[in-house]
Amino acid sequence: MTSDQNEDHIPDAIEMPAPTYWPMILAFGITLLVAGLVTQVAVSVVGLLLLLLGAVGWFKEIFPMEKHELVPVLPESQRAQPIKVSSRSVARLQAGVASHRVRIPAQIHPYSSGIKGGLVGGIAMALVACLYGFIAHDSIWYPINLLAAVALPSMAMADLTQLKAFDGTSFIIALICHAAFSCLVGLLFAILLPMLPSRRAAFWGSFLSPILWSALVWATLGLINPTLNARINWIWFVASQIAFGMVTGYIIHHSKMVETMQTWPLAARAGLEARGVMYEKGGEK
Amino acid sequence: MAVQEVALARAPEMHPSIITRLHELVVTVDHKKLGLMYIAAALFFFTVAGSMAALMRLQLVVPNNDFISPQVFNRLFTMHGTAMVFLVGMPILAGLANYLVPLMIGARDMALPRLNAFGFWMFFFGGLLLYFSYLAGAGLSGMGSAPDVGWFAYSPLTARAFSPGMSTDYWILAILLGGIGSIVTAINLIATIFCMRCKGMTLMRMPMFVWLMLIVAGMILLAMPPLSAAQIMLLLDRFLGAMFFDTQAGGSAVLWQHFFWIFGHPEVYILIMPAFAVASEIIPVFSRKPIFGYPFMVAAAIMIGFISFGVWAHHMFTVGMSSIGNTFFAVTTMLVGVPTGIKIFNWLGTMYGGKIRFELPMLFCIGFLFQFLIAGLTGIMLAAAPFDWQLSDSTFVVAHFHFVLIGGLLYTIFAAIYYWYPKAIGRMLNKKLGLWHFWLFTIGFHLTFDTMHIPGFLGMPRRIYTYDAGRGWEVFNMISTIGVALQAAAVLCLVINLLWSARKGEKAGDDPWDAWTLEWATTSPPPAYNFEVLPKVRSRRPLWDIKHPEDPDWRYE
Repeated sequence: MTSDQNEDHIPDAIEMPAPTYWPMILAFGITLLVAGLVTQVAVSVVGLLLLLLGAVGWFKEIFPMEKHELVPVLPESQRAQPIKVSSRSVARLQAGVASHRVRIPAQIHPYSSGIKGGLVGGIAMALVACLYGFIAHDSIWYPINLLAAVALPSMAMADLTQLKAFDGTSFIIALICHAAFSCLVGLLFAILLPMLPSRRAAFWGSFLSPILWSALVWATLGLINPTLNARINWIWFVASQIAFGMVTGYIIHHSKMVETMQTWPLAARAGLEARGVMYEKGGEK
Repeated sequence: MAVQEVALARAPEMHPSIITRLHELVVTVDHKKLGLMYIAAALFFFTVAGSMAALMRLQLVVPNNDFISPQVFNRLFTMHGTAMVFLVGMPILAGLANYLVPLMIGARDMALPRLNAFGFWMFFFGGLLLYFSYLAGAGLSGMGSAPDVGWFAYSPLTARAFSPGMSTDYWILAILLGGIGSIVTAINLIATIFCMRCKGMTLMRMPMFVWLMLIVAGMILLAMPPLSAAQIMLLLDRFLGAMFFDTQAGGSAVLWQHFFWIFGHPEVYILIMPAFAVASEIIPVFSRKPIFGYPFMVAAAIMIGFISFGVWAHHMFTVGMSSIGNTFFAVTTMLVGVPTGIKIFNWLGTMYGGKIRFELPMLFCIGFLFQFLIAGLTGIMLAAAPFDWQLSDSTFVVAHFHFVLIGGLLYTIFAAIYYWYPKAIGRMLNKKLGLWHFWLFTIGFHLTFDTMHIPGFLGMPRRIYTYDAGRGWEVFNMISTIGVALQAAAVLCLVINLLWSARKGEKAGDDPWDAWTLEWATTSPPPAYNFEVLPKVRSRRPLWDIKHPEDPDWRYE
């Protein structure tokens, strides 16, 4: 709303649609028409007559021109008061000042690095898990079958011998679950990393994230995968998480960062492509 | 050449008689009067349907109770559900949209004012026809009175063999009439929003309320026709012996369920999106911050509208669909949680760091946020098909959707009443009575519906007339009924407040909340023409721009 609103000419009267009872008559007619189905045919006949009357009346109301009435504008004393400038000024939070917690990264890791890091980290994690299976149970298929039990009821009820044997369906399901989760966690990591203090990226990636993730899994695994929960070895689990975190963190941390729109001027963000608006190659405006 | 007929409106009388006032209401095409008529009629139906709920709770307060008969109980839960959805929820949203949308977009009226009046009268007569069944349902056939087939009227219960008499026909016809009213109102809203916006109000400068009403109108246009079609098919079954839903003659009872829920689940979002609309206007004003993530809020609302058409069969997990069907509808249902979560986070983001004023509208909105979150979480639980198999048709489901419709929708309707009543009436509602209303209702609501989850877990089915002692359900039913008494007392506080404040309340002025949208730029109540001069806007908060010339929004948008 612009402040010069009051300078526009205010008319003495304003044209508004004229009141009419035809819409009500028409609605009542339709109601009676259908009500006849549950009462008497005579009710429907009256309804039909009212419907026709209402339709014709309404038609006349708007053809050839709509009926209007002139509503006198209220005297100035009864009109809305002009909107006043507020005496209170605006205090805006600035990034970096005390108690302001926002961190808007000027540069971020590309999403592709998150997916790539997640996939490679997932391979590292799988290697550690399979190593555990080989050392503890003499079978690399053991951890794979346990993971598949999240979606396969047959594997959830399997005994140790079955868990140690190769199962094609289990392998495919475990592969899909593992790949999907690795990609998603890698993507999440890539998004989060620029918002964390950059000097400790190795710490975030290789230690804190696996610990937090392990804690979350520890709390919920009983619900998600009771079979895995009953047989899991937590030391090896944390080790595999750390392997994932270190590899993923390394790949993401060493990816080439890209600028976010935060660094762009307002006009560029609005989509204007004009000379001088965007920073061009070489750093010149 | 045709000459336009323009008569000078009669000067309003100082103290018009009742007849004059009634005549004005019958002939009015003014969006504000129609909006208030929608809201008044809906509040009337709300008290009737609420009283029905109270009667049901009284029946269930102790085991083996025979306060009312089983037949009356069946009619009560059918009429309660039907009225609350079709005669309270839908008309209230139509009323709010009617009153506020033209004001918020800087228009003088709706695009199609006569159609607007027609929509109201269709809804109103439809409602009267539904309740007329109590008087006439038994009159000619001698069987039954009001409808007793539940608000979703599953087949084959609605077949002539199981529902003799006319009661089910009353249900079909009344909803059919109301559906016509809803469709014309939706068309009118879409036409108004696309064609009547004032200068400078681009789509991305519209208030969130207007955006959400636009989406709701689009959803009504898509959701109502399947229901109307199914109702016409059912009429053909009952009157002409068609066999669409007659399983013994090659029809399908499940077909009715599909038709009904293709309407019914979007309907839940049609009801809850206006709640989002109200919260999106009130929370920023009382947090003294613009809404957080406006474009994402718009996108999330569109996503909700879109996804809501792909989740209907989660109401039908117990029918016995294929595992692919179950999985698809479980996943899409959980998917709705994503845009809804975005909205909740954005409302919290709006409040975060703001200068929050705990006025009554804000209190109800905070209640809404908390309760709607719980409703969403139990909804996600029910979206898991195996969980749903255990708890379908139990009181857990009843508690879940009452958290949606009371904890969510009704709380924001109360918030809207406290927020816009000063604009519509010109006087403030009493704060002390309002606080009594808020706290009594909140305590009562939680007593009733928190506890209602537990007997559901313990196996108590919904819609049972009575139950045996010793199943562990007694104490929860007792607490639930006590909660209803508190809610009734709270509603009484609101009614007294509405009536008392209309005459004795403190004068509101044009802009009592220091708000930012265009309805606060005109008088309270607004004149018939809304604005002497149609406004021009440059940002989403036009009044803010004038109040704060040193820091207007248009600099940043």
